[in-house]
Amino acid sequence: MPQLIKNRALCNNEWVVAGSEAAGSATRLLLPLADYIAAIAAGEPADSRAVLLKPEVHDLTPLLPHLQHLPLIAVQFGTTGEGRGYTQARLLRERHGYKGELRAIGAVRTDQVYFLARCGFDAFDLVDGDDAAVAISQLDRFSVAYQTSAGNLTHTRMRYGHQG
Amino acid sequence: MYRYDEIDATLVAERVAQFRDQTRRFLDGKLPEDEFRPLRLRNGLYIQKHAPMLRVAIPYGLLSTRQLRMLGHLARKYDRDYAHFTTRQNIQYNWPKLEDVPDMLADLASVEMHAIQTSGNCIRNTTADHFAGIAPDEIDDPRPYCEIIRQWSTLHPEFTYLPRKFKIAVTGSPADRAASEVHDIGLHMRRDANGQVGFEVLVGGGLGRTPILGKVICDFLPREHLLSYLEAILRVYNQEGRRDNIYKARIKILVKAKGIDAFRTAVEAEWALIRDSALRLDVAEIDRVRAFFRPLPYEKLADINVTQGQSADFQAWYRYNTRPHKVPGYRAVIVSLKAHGEAPGDITADQMDRVADLADRVSSGELRATHDQNLVLGEVRQIDLLETWQTLKALNLATPNIGTLTDMICCPGLDFCSLANAGSIGIAKQIHERFNDFDYLYDLGHVEIKMSGCMNACGHHHVGHIGILGVDKRGEEWYQITLGGSASGKSSLGEVIGPSVAKDAVAETIARILDVYVARREDGEEFLETVRRIGVDPFSERVYAAAH
Ligand code: SF4
Repeated sequence: MPQLIKNRALCNNEWVVAGSEAAGSATRLLLPLADYIAAIAAGEPADSRAVLLKPEVHDLTPLLPHLQHLPLIAVQFGTTGEGRGYTQARLLRERHGYKGELRAIGAVRTDQVYFLARCGFDAFDLVDGDDAAVAISQLDRFSVAYQTSAGNLTHTRMRYGHQG
Repeated sequence: MYRYDEIDATLVAERVAQFRDQTRRFLDGKLPEDEFRPLRLRNGLYIQKHAPMLRVAIPYGLLSTRQLRMLGHLARKYDRDYAHFTTRQNIQYNWPKLEDVPDMLADLASVEMHAIQTSGNCIRNTTADHFAGIAPDEIDDPRPYCEIIRQWSTLHPEFTYLPRKFKIAVTGSPADRAASEVHDIGLHMRRDANGQVGFEVLVGGGLGRTPILGKVICDFLPREHLLSYLEAILRVYNQEGRRDNIYKARIKILVKAKGIDAFRTAVEAEWALIRDSALRLDVAEIDRVRAFFRPLPYEKLADINVTQGQSADFQAWYRYNTRPHKVPGYRAVIVSLKAHGEAPGDITADQMDRVADLADRVSSGELRATHDQNLVLGEVRQIDLLETWQTLKALNLATPNIGTLTDMICCPGLDFCSLANAGSIGIAKQIHERFNDFDYLYDLGHVEIKMSGCMNACGHHHVGHIGILGVDKRGEEWYQITLGGSASGKSSLGEVIGPSVAKDAVAETIARILDVYVARREDGEEFLETVRRIGVDPFSERVYAAAH
């Protein structure tokens, strides 16, 4: 079982990917973007449906009308080398003002956590086998950065920023 | 040169601590090899044939004498008393121990150096013209912008897992001494009609399996938009670059597939949304960085005739191994790492120390690494040239062959690299032995040989006037020869002359090619010009004529 890290602590995960083995009778479901839009249109409860964002989605327009009420967006990482989710996260946070939970799921390991956090992720579904305490400690790995970040990691000074 | 402030120093120190922790977790069995791999690569650490290989970044090739001494110290303490300069102005150690690498990185940090992003699918060390700041033909000094790019690209959170590696080269002169057209992004400094500094931006160049020259994506980018424009390109690439096939993952494949116009449209659309963000460089920040690269307080000197009455050896060295300086009375000296019989680009720890001493004495206390694997003393007074030559000669670093056939670019090849098909250092030695007559080399004039041990093309063979590529034929080392490549303005990719040749026939093949040049050249025509004029056929005919 992956270990969910939020606010620098392990916590219970209530969300499961729809159709997955773990889904069972769970009520809080993660759905691929198109399915999510269809589900909401069909009147399924907005507080227990959330988006599973696949790496290949780079046009976020269909998602935008839902950002206000989405409780969670889970960005999927197929491998640790997958880099598209970092851009998706920054765009959601910085360009589209998404304020809800942004969770990295899939191949999420200790040494990605710092970079993920800087792009705006605030929840990490750490793979089974990695030590959650070590992963959490990575959030304090750097006290300075050259770029400002979308996340809430604070650095003493940043050289080349984005928007404030 | 640029000096670290507290931010830089802290960041590099914290990076060392991070890597120490990662290495410890790996050695403790808590970090699987396949997960450790991308992490160590991002710190320049490969696992090669014999041992790990550590690649240290020399940002845009600029190096202080203090740093060079540290590089010598590392070679002595952790390696076998030598190191190897690469075609990207970096330096490599071939024999370190994995468990020593965190200490090596800590030693480097003590002299404001690191190995961050010298490998892996991320933005690599930015390279530049090795005569930056001193070239008479320079529009402006590219190094402050290289430093700004270095900082922006270092641990950039969004671009840490790109589809593939990403290389940027910057030139400040119309003459391209940084092979910028074969980089993922090439930046050419320009001035607009009002004298404002900016960049012509090229994108999608690269060598490897699919060699392509970069295409112009922007004619003139005002300098304040440099980072936002780079960020827009990288963002489009990060999202749209292929990740399903490692051989199609470079940005050149994306640019080719989309077409440069559609790619430009995508970049400009993204750029429009971020160009006035905090990424916009203000004049104060540019000036802060520029101040680190202010010209030296040069003495008021006149150009002098230093060769008059001197030995023929010195005259040859002056002619081939020194270059003009923008200030009268000064000259740039190329330290040849191409001594005959030595592996091109290699330098011993003792040579590093002694060259550092020399640079302190006769130059500015700074050196430059060139992409063709030599070093440069950039600020030598002409009256000190004789002493400089004598010192370098005693160190076997004054072979007067810069720009000639034996000033070869050569990757480590089969001797060190686990990806190689064939050796390249042995071929370099074969060529050294065969072409040891300097009068003949001088008569041939400017000829560039570039050699790679496999298709990855670290030795830039596609853009050699003569390119040599190692191929594997049923377990044997064979070599494919190309002619007519160039990466110095008016770039071109070489054309294959025919079937590959056996290992012991490489020098003979080159001799035949040169015979054709000598027979067919017209007045004052350089080798490359003759190849371009007559095509490769006459060369092929001669090479394969008696080969059966
Ligand atoms: S060109 Fe091939 S053999 Fe040479 S260093 Fe690069 S990967 Fe190794």
